[in-house]
Amino acid sequence: MKFLVLVVNRCLWFLPTVLGLMVITFTISHLIPADPIAAAAGENATAEQIAALRVKFGLDQPIYVQLYRYVLAVAQGDFGISLYTQRPIVFDIATRLPATLELTFVAVLIAATLGIPLGVLSATHRNSPLDHVLRVITVSGLAIAAFWLAILFQLLFAMKLGWTPLQGRVDGWGPDSVTGFFLIDAVLMGDLEILQDVAAHMILPAATLAFPAMATIVRFTRAGVLEAINSNYVMYEEAMGFPRRIIVWKYVLRNALIGTVTQIGLIFGILIANGVVVEAVFDWPGLGLYAVSSILQSDYNGIMAFAIIAGVIFIVVNLLVDITHGLIDPRESR
Amino acid sequence: MTLIRHRVTHTVNRLRSIGLAGLSGIAVGIALTVLPITEVEAKSKFVFANSSAYDNLDPHIVFDVGRVASRINLYDGLLRWEDNPPQLVNWLAESYSISADGKAYTFVLRKGAKFHDGSPIEASDVVYSMERTIALKKGASALFAGVVEPGTTKALDAQTVEFHLSQASAIFLATVPEIHVVNTDLVKKHEKDGDWGTAWLSSHEAGSGSYELKRYDPAIGFTAARFADHFMPWGKKYYDEIDFRTVVEINSRVLGLMKGDFQGTDGYLPQDQIIRLKAADDIAIYEEESMRIFYAAVHNGRAPMNDINFRKALSYSFDYDGFITNILSGSVARDPVPLPNNIWGAPKDVKGYTYDLEKAKEHLAMVKEPQRELVIGVLAGYNQSEQAAALLQNGLSKIGIKSKLLIEPWPVVSNKMRDEAQMYDLVFLWKSTYYADPNNWVGEMYNSSKIGSRNNSWYSNPEVDKLLDEALISTDMKVRAANYEKAATMVMEDAAGIFVYNTKWFGPFNKSVQGVRFCPIGNGQEVRWMYPKG
Repeated sequence: MKFLVLVVNRCLWFLPTVLGLMVITFTISHLIPADPIAAAAGENATAEQIAALRVKFGLDQPIYVQLYRYVLAVAQGDFGISLYTQRPIVFDIATRLPATLELTFVAVLIAATLGIPLGVLSATHRNSPLDHVLRVITVSGLAIAAFWLAILFQLLFAMKLGWTPLQGRVDGWGPDSVTGFFLIDAVLMGDLEILQDVAAHMILPAATLAFPAMATIVRFTRAGVLEAINSNYVMYEEAMGFPRRIIVWKYVLRNALIGTVTQIGLIFGILIANGVVVEAVFDWPGLGLYAVSSILQSDYNGIMAFAIIAGVIFIVVNLLVDITHGLIDPRESR
Repeated sequence: MTLIRHRVTHTVNRLRSIGLAGLSGIAVGIALTVLPITEVEAKSKFVFANSSAYDNLDPHIVFDVGRVASRINLYDGLLRWEDNPPQLVNWLAESYSISADGKAYTFVLRKGAKFHDGSPIEASDVVYSMERTIALKKGASALFAGVVEPGTTKALDAQTVEFHLSQASAIFLATVPEIHVVNTDLVKKHEKDGDWGTAWLSSHEAGSGSYELKRYDPAIGFTAARFADHFMPWGKKYYDEIDFRTVVEINSRVLGLMKGDFQGTDGYLPQDQIIRLKAADDIAIYEEESMRIFYAAVHNGRAPMNDINFRKALSYSFDYDGFITNILSGSVARDPVPLPNNIWGAPKDVKGYTYDLEKAKEHLAMVKEPQRELVIGVLAGYNQSEQAAALLQNGLSKIGIKSKLLIEPWPVVSNKMRDEAQMYDLVFLWKSTYYADPNNWVGEMYNSSKIGSRNNSWYSNPEVDKLLDEALISTDMKVRAANYEKAATMVMEDAAGIFVYNTKWFGPFNKSVQGVRFCPIGNGQEVRWMYPKG
C-alpha cells in the first residue's frame, strides 16, 4: 500500500514538475541577449525581413503571452517550429531521440552488467590486489574526461587496430526505421549483417559513456555490499552454514543494490547530458548534437523542447527506480 | 498480501527474463562484431564530411556557404560560378541579353533540360522560383530586395524569361546563380496553407541538378544519385553516388578522411590538422586563395573610434605578421583592404597598415577624446577571433589603451552588430562570398545606405558612397573596377576597420578523387566534375 501511495504520489508530481521546468527553461532561454530571428534570417537579411519573421514566430508578443501560448501548444504535443531548420520540432526530435536513448540504454546496461559484479568482487576481496586494481580503474573512470577517452578509443581501436568503425551509427543508412532503435529494427528485419554493423558502431561510444558510469556503480555496490556483509543477519546465515557464495550473491547483494539502483537512475540522466560530447566525437546523430546546435543558434523552441524531453525522461526513469526499489526491498511494498 | 507477493515475485521473474534476454542480445551483438564485416559499398561513391548540418534542403531558404552542397548538386540556376577567380558561365541559360537601360535581362533556356521527375524545365519555373525566393524573404532574397519586385518577372515563352529590374543593377548578373530553379508543379502539389511548399521542400527536393536526392535525414545528411539526363554533358568518368554527411568534430573528420571513410572534407580546417593530413599517404591537399576576408568591424560612430587618429592607432597596434606567420603558420594571405586580393577591383600594391607601435602612439597623441576601456567582441567557438582579439589587446596595452574581451555566440554578436548602441567597439569576424562581385564586400560593408544592416561599422563617407553607388549601376567594367579600387583604398586609409587577411582554402581529398574544381562560391563541393581515379 505504501508502495502504491509512493507511485501515485510520484505520478501526481509529474505535471507540476514538468510545468515548472517549462517555465524556468522558457524564462532563461528568453533572457539571453541574443536575437535568434536575426541569426536565423541570415547575414544578408534586411530589417523588414527580420521583423516579418519575428511576427511569424510570435516573438513580437509580450513574454507572458508567449509563455501561455507555448504551454498550451506543448500540452497538445506541439513544440513549435525550429527557428533554424524551419521544421516542426517534434519531427527534428523524433529523428534523433531514438539514437540517444539506444546509446544511453546500452551504456547503462554495460555499466550495470559489469559494474555490479565488479563491485561485489571488490567488496568481497577487500584490500586485496584485485580490489586495488579495481580502485585504480574506477578512479580513472571517474577522472578521465569523456572527450579524451573517446578520442583515445578512436585512435586505438578504430585507427590502430582497425577492430571497430571510427564513427557514425551504421554504415550507409541502416535498417528500415520501425522503432528508430537500430538494434531492434535490425532484429525485426532479420538482417544479421546490419545487426552486426550496428553493434560494431555501438561499441566505442557505448564504452566511452559506460566507463565512468561503471566506475560509479562499482563504488556504490562495493560500499553497499561492505555495509550489508557486516550485518547481523549475514553473521547468522554464516553461523547456519549457508555457503558464502549464496549469502553474498543472493542476500547481501539484494540489500546492497538499493543505493546502486538509485545511482543508476541518476546515471541515466547524466549520460544523456554526457552524450553531447560523445555524440560529437563519434558523429552519433542524437539529441545531444541537436541541443548544442539549438543553443549555439539560440533556437528557443529547440532548447526548450530538449530540456523538457530530457526532464521528462529523467522523471520517468526515476519513477522506474522507485518502483524497482519496491521490487527489491519488500519493506517499500508494505 | 500473498497475492501482492506473488505478483511481485512474478514481476521480478519477468524482469529477470527480460534482463537476461537483453544481456543475451548485447552479448550476441558484441560477439557478432568480432566476425569480419562485409563491406557493401556502391561503386564510385563520393562521401564528404561536412562541419555544418544539412538542417534544411530548401534552396530558397538555405544560403550559407557551409551548406552549399545541397544547392549546387541538387539544383541548377540560369548561370553558375565556376573556378577561381570565379567565372560566371551559362548554365541552365544558353544565352542572355541586357537592355540598353540595364533594367531588362532576358535569358533563353537550354532546350531539352529536364527536372529529376522527367518534366521539362520551362521559363515559368524560373518565374515561380524568383517569386518564391522573394516571397519567402529568406536565403538569397535580400540580394534581390529593391531590385526585383514581385510579379515583374515574365515568361515570354516556354524557353524565354525576362527580369524587369526596378533600377539598373550592375550586380544582378552576379546574383542570378542564386535563383535556384525548382519544379513548379511538384512544389505546388505540396503547398500547405500558402507556405510555398517550405515544409515539404525542407526535406525533399524538386530540382534538376547533376545529382538526384535519394535519402535525407537532417541528423545525418543526404545521399544523391547521378542524374544521367542532366542538360550539361557528363564526362567519361564521374561519381555514381554522392553522400554528404554531417561530422561536427574536426578530429573525427580528419581521422575519417585518413581511414578512408570519407573522400573529402571542408577546406578551412585548422593548420595543425592540415599538416597532419599532408603527412598522410592517401590525402591530397589542394591549395587556393579563397574570398573570405578576416577583419575587425570598428564602430566608427562612437567616440573615440569616430576620430580617424584613434582608428589609425588601432590599425597600427595589430601584429599582422605575428598573427599570420606565427599563429596561422602562413596559411592565409595578408589582405590590407576590405576586398579579397583575388577579385577584380581589388587595389594592387596597397601596403596597408603594419604593426608599428611608434606610429600608433603618434596618432594616439593627436586624439582629443578622453581614453576609455574598449570592448572587443569575440565570436565564441572561433579560435581565430579570440586569438586576434587577444593579440590586439596586447598591442593596445603597449600604447596605454585598456581593453576587455567579450566572448559571445554568433546570434548574440549578430544581434548587437545591428544596434548602434549595443555594437562592440570592435569585433573580429569574417565576410564570406555570397556573390563574386566587389559589392559583396566593400559595397555591403561600407556604403552608408547599409548602416545598421550590413554596414555594422556605422561608417559614412560621402565620397565612398558616391563611388560605390556609381559602381552599382554602371555597366562599364572599367568604371566599376576603378571605383571599387578607389573606395577600398579610401576605406583602408580611413582605418574604418582592421583588415587582416584573405582566407586560403586547403581542400583535403583522398588521392583517388580526381577533377576537383574549386570556386569560392561552391567551396570545391560541386561533385559533377569529380571522378574516381582509375
